[in-house]
Amino acid sequence: MEKSDEMVTPGEVLGRATELKAGKGAYVASQNNTIYASLTGFRRIQPPPPDSPDQRPTVEVTGHKAHGPVPEPGSVVIARVTKVMARTASADIMCVGPKSVREKFTGIIRQQDVRATEMDKVDMHSSFHPGDIVRAVVVSFIFSLGDARAYYLSTAKNELGVVSAESSAVLPSLFNFGPKHRRATMVPISWTEMQCPLTGQIQQRKVAKVVS
Amino acid sequence: MAAKPGIAPTTYSPNLVQKTRPPIFKDNDLDWVRPDGRGFHQCRPAFFRTGAVNSASGSAYAELGNTKVIVSVFGPRESKKAMMYSDTGRLNCNVSYTTFGTPVRGQGSDHKEFSSMLHKALEGAIMLETFPKTTVDVFALVLESGGSDIPVVISCASLALADAGIMMYDLVAAVSVACLGKNLVIDPILEEESYQDGSLMLTCMPSRYEVTQLTFTGEWPTPDINEAMQLCLDACNKLGKVMRTCLKEAASASQEEKLDVCF
Repeated sequence: MEKSDEMVTPGEVLGRATELKAGKGAYVASQNNTIYASLTGFRRIQPPPPDSPDQRPTVEVTGHKAHGPVPEPGSVVIARVTKVMARTASADIMCVGPKSVREKFTGIIRQQDVRATEMDKVDMHSSFHPGDIVRAVVVSFIFSLGDARAYYLSTAKNELGVVSAESSAVLPSLFNFGPKHRRATMVPISWTEMQCPLTGQIQQRKVAKVVS
Repeated sequence: MAAKPGIAPTTYSPNLVQKTRPPIFKDNDLDWVRPDGRGFHQCRPAFFRTGAVNSASGSAYAELGNTKVIVSVFGPRESKKAMMYSDTGRLNCNVSYTTFGTPVRGQGSDHKEFSSMLHKALEGAIMLETFPKTTVDVFALVLESGGSDIPVVISCASLALADAGIMMYDLVAAVSVACLGKNLVIDPILEEESYQDGSLMLTCMPSRYEVTQLTFTGEWPTPDINEAMQLCLDACNKLGKVMRTCLKEAASASQEEKLDVCF
């Protein structure tokens, strides 16, 4: 960490817009063409990329503290499915990109967003079960970000879908206390099926293709 | 004094031409002494600390004389009662008094308009478009009411927002002036507020020199209004510097902690 970076607070002048570009944590006030900080943090200057027409360096404020991540159109999120209904599934968004959120956001996966082919033949119960962890992308088109409360999520790509699921298989127990549920993480065997390692039972999911 | 649309639509820029007019009230005109011995144009010393509440996204504690306020900020988070889709974020403010905070127990509920005043003061300074569809909740609790409550709440709330990492155009500093007969006193205490003929509260963004809220009550002769506003702007500037020092100290203290943990 360079000691020469100075700490700035919101509203402090960072430079003139004629010499610098405003990056993350900074903004340009058009009435006097000055760049001000909008966050508390250290002022850093990034050199411009060598092939861009605009050769001004970018000044940014690297947050000493930034607010928790907020889902944005096009961002990849990790969500846990809470309810599966005939045409939609509800999920709680827990991570946006690599960061986890402070408080969960609600997402909805609609029937037409589950996969890219044969969208009207999708059976929600063969795609998701409650408790599954899915990787999805926040939908971005005209009705961007979904309805008033929930974000619309889409799993219509190969690398999106269920990444982890627990089997609900019932195993007879060795002791005479009756059958016990033993839950195990299911293993994906194709893009529509996952298998429980304890019982061998195959269940249907919309599986994400994990590229390793 | 035009409001420039687009950037911060609910703020106004004061006229930059300094009107040199001799002040009407000089300090040696006193016909009475303030109960705490301050000069008429002297504010109480301000104490600010951020990071008071661990479970909140951001928080701040402010103490000016006997007025003690703690503000917590939560968000941006999903709002349970979002009725309509909005492509900018929403701000939700709540100011409440503790039952022991006022001289007469339980009488703080007279100030129901403080929540909407806090909202108006802050909304011009926050970049709502950086967190669409989510809500930032600001909860202010007045632990002890010692006069000039709402200006202290506003300044403390803007520090809490900065502590939470919410993007803002500038910090918001607020100061109030009371008109007592022919005298103008800045930052009145509870006793002076009960005698006042009029009060003026000015909330501004010191570095951008823009006013986000102006509240007048009572009777005000016109020349006094000008002088009172100049007093407030000047005091807000100084208060802004104190607030920035507080933020920087808190940030460098936590930076040092991080370095210590590494070794």
